[in-house]
Amino acid sequence: MIHLVGCSHHNTPVEIRERLAFSPEQARCALESFRQEFPQAEAVVLSTCNRVEFYTAAESTAAVVSHEQMARFLAHFHGLDPDAVFGQLFRHSGREAVLHLFTVAAGLDSMVLGEPQIRAQVKQAYELACRCDTAGPITHAVFQAALKAARRVSNETTIHRKRVSVPSVAVAEFAKQIFERFDDKQLLVIGAGEMAEETLRYATDEGARHITVVNRSWDRACQLAQRWNGQARPWEELLDALAQADMVISTTGATEPIVRLEEFRQIEPLRYQRPLLILDLAIPRDFDPAIGDCLGVYLFSIDDLQEVCRQNLQERQRELPTAMAILEEETTQFMAELNRRATGPIIHQLKQDWHQVKEEELARLFNKLPHLDQRSREEIRYAFHRLVNKLLHPPLESLRDHAREGVPHGLLEALKKLFQLPE
Amino acid sequence: MNTTVVWILALVYLVALALELTRIWFRSSLRGAALVGVVLGGLIVHTALVGYRWVALGRDPFSSTFDWCLLAAWALGVVYLYLTLYHPNNPLGIFLLPLVLVLVLAAATVASQVPFAQAQEAQILATVHGLSLLVGTVVVFLGLATGVMYLISAIWMRRMHRPVRLLRLPSLEWLQRITTRCLLLALVCLSLGFVTGLVLSQLRHGHVDWSDPVVWSSSLLVGWLAAVAVFILVYRPARQGRKVAYLTLASFVFLLIALWAFWSTPGHVGKLPTLNGSAPEGSDQLTWGRRYTRGSLRFPLPRRKLGYDSPGGL
Repeated sequence: MIHLVGCSHHNTPVEIRERLAFSPEQARCALESFRQEFPQAEAVVLSTCNRVEFYTAAESTAAVVSHEQMARFLAHFHGLDPDAVFGQLFRHSGREAVLHLFTVAAGLDSMVLGEPQIRAQVKQAYELACRCDTAGPITHAVFQAALKAARRVSNETTIHRKRVSVPSVAVAEFAKQIFERFDDKQLLVIGAGEMAEETLRYATDEGARHITVVNRSWDRACQLAQRWNGQARPWEELLDALAQADMVISTTGATEPIVRLEEFRQIEPLRYQRPLLILDLAIPRDFDPAIGDCLGVYLFSIDDLQEVCRQNLQERQRELPTAMAILEEETTQFMAELNRRATGPIIHQLKQDWHQVKEEELARLFNKLPHLDQRSREEIRYAFHRLVNKLLHPPLESLRDHAREGVPHGLLEALKKLFQLPE
Repeated sequence: MNTTVVWILALVYLVALALELTRIWFRSSLRGAALVGVVLGGLIVHTALVGYRWVALGRDPFSSTFDWCLLAAWALGVVYLYLTLYHPNNPLGIFLLPLVLVLVLAAATVASQVPFAQAQEAQILATVHGLSLLVGTVVVFLGLATGVMYLISAIWMRRMHRPVRLLRLPSLEWLQRITTRCLLLALVCLSLGFVTGLVLSQLRHGHVDWSDPVVWSSSLLVGWLAAVAVFILVYRPARQGRKVAYLTLASFVFLLIALWAFWSTPGHVGKLPTLNGSAPEGSDQLTWGRRYTRGSLRFPLPRRKLGYDSPGGL
């Protein structure tokens, strides 16, 4: 049985989420303490910016950890009131819990639909549980199946392909439409804010190597340049740097344009109409919009980028039903397999007992008929074997049929009692 | 039979074009494989047809306007297949396949199967002449496709302030590089073809008839390409962006004029010296340098080699 308690950006305010969140070290401590408290149960903690989820599983009914126990454990670990925490958490069990995990791993439950980083975070959470020895047969199966389902969604839909953040769209859809390669391009960053750095990250991922940072604050320019192996230039050299640039990312907080048309006209002859991509991510805009009419200039504002982000998000939404159908299919397959596995020990025990009786009866028979030759003995042994299998077939087939719908607890109990199987 | 095969080829390329056009409406993981399969199948048939006419019929691959169109379409088809394999997400076929179709349809409808006259004594020169003109033409066609793609992408991005989403075109940098290379390669090939044509004419007749529309339109084309090359070398902004695309489009127009002059000049389409000095209707000449006149040349070529004993009935 699999249980899940958790909270996410969907149903819990950030004030609660941050109190329940785990750092990697805290997650390790929590898992170790869980193992001491519930040695028979399995557990995985998934903690990201937008969610905290606690999965437990157990093969035997006696070892199952209830939702209340899980909530209490979380509350005690963080030093919170268990009753207050319990009301803030969502709870799932069995198929619901599995489908939820699959949906999370595929990025379909994320704040930004289809964001790919969550898959790596799910994998890290599972690996941590493996290292802490709190992962067991069920959690191994369910987390591996979740990662497989996420890969399927990624391969069979385009939900991850369309970028939805401004920096990623700026590079992947705008810059790459103009430039084939970035390693020979001069990248000029004006301003040293978060947006600039994030865009720079995507640009360097694509191969940008020649980075120049210009900022009013010389210290911040130097720091940013150092982080990205670029060079800083004084604010006064902005136009010179612009004359040499192929791509510009501008994110200053200036209240007026920092480059006007007249200023751009001064450096225009030096550029020989070389293509210049300007990503003006500042509000108010850093570049005079009229510069966009100059030869070879491709000027895009944050509004242009956000419009593409919005369209991409809509395209992701259109892929959602296909992705959910894949996850439903994977969940059904997984649950059938899991339920089949739950009946495994009883089937094994039953077969073992019956074959033991068969062997005892064969031994008794062969003692009474010592004149039997080897071939006759083999024939009799084979006949007994077929008889046992034929007698076992109908009850085991019924058990398998019922296992497709869920764990057949009633049938399993009946078999145990009827055939006096050990617990 | 050949004409029937050409129509089948046209149908195959039309199917490929239709598959490319479906990119506008929906995504499919199977389309790429289907597209490559269809074009590959078409190219196999295309290669077999060109090879059959070359080997079995003893025809040079560019020995008539029919063969010339077929070979040019084949070369463009191969270029398209190569680009599709390396740029599977870009709908290059929407721009290249119509050009392939135009050449195939020209072969099926207006092109003559009667071979050009060939001089035995200048066979190598004539081959260089035909081959360089063919490569030059194919390269100009390719440059036209990439130039048009460049213009669509660049104008759309500047006007709409976002990339073309309906069709995922290659980057402007790549398109500009290919277009520039096409221009320069076209200059080399067409100049070589033009010069060898002049030499052939000089060898045969002792002079070049500059009043011939084919000669002056060809010289206009080569002159234009040379001017473009000088312009690009001397004026740096000419190497950038839309200028290269516009120059390629203009080059294509000059090429069309030269091709029109070649096809519409009676001396070039319809006259072939025969064994006894008469010229059968519908025979063509390979050389752009000078028009052959009825009975002016007597090439002692075997009928099997020339193949004009069965005009239109191949």
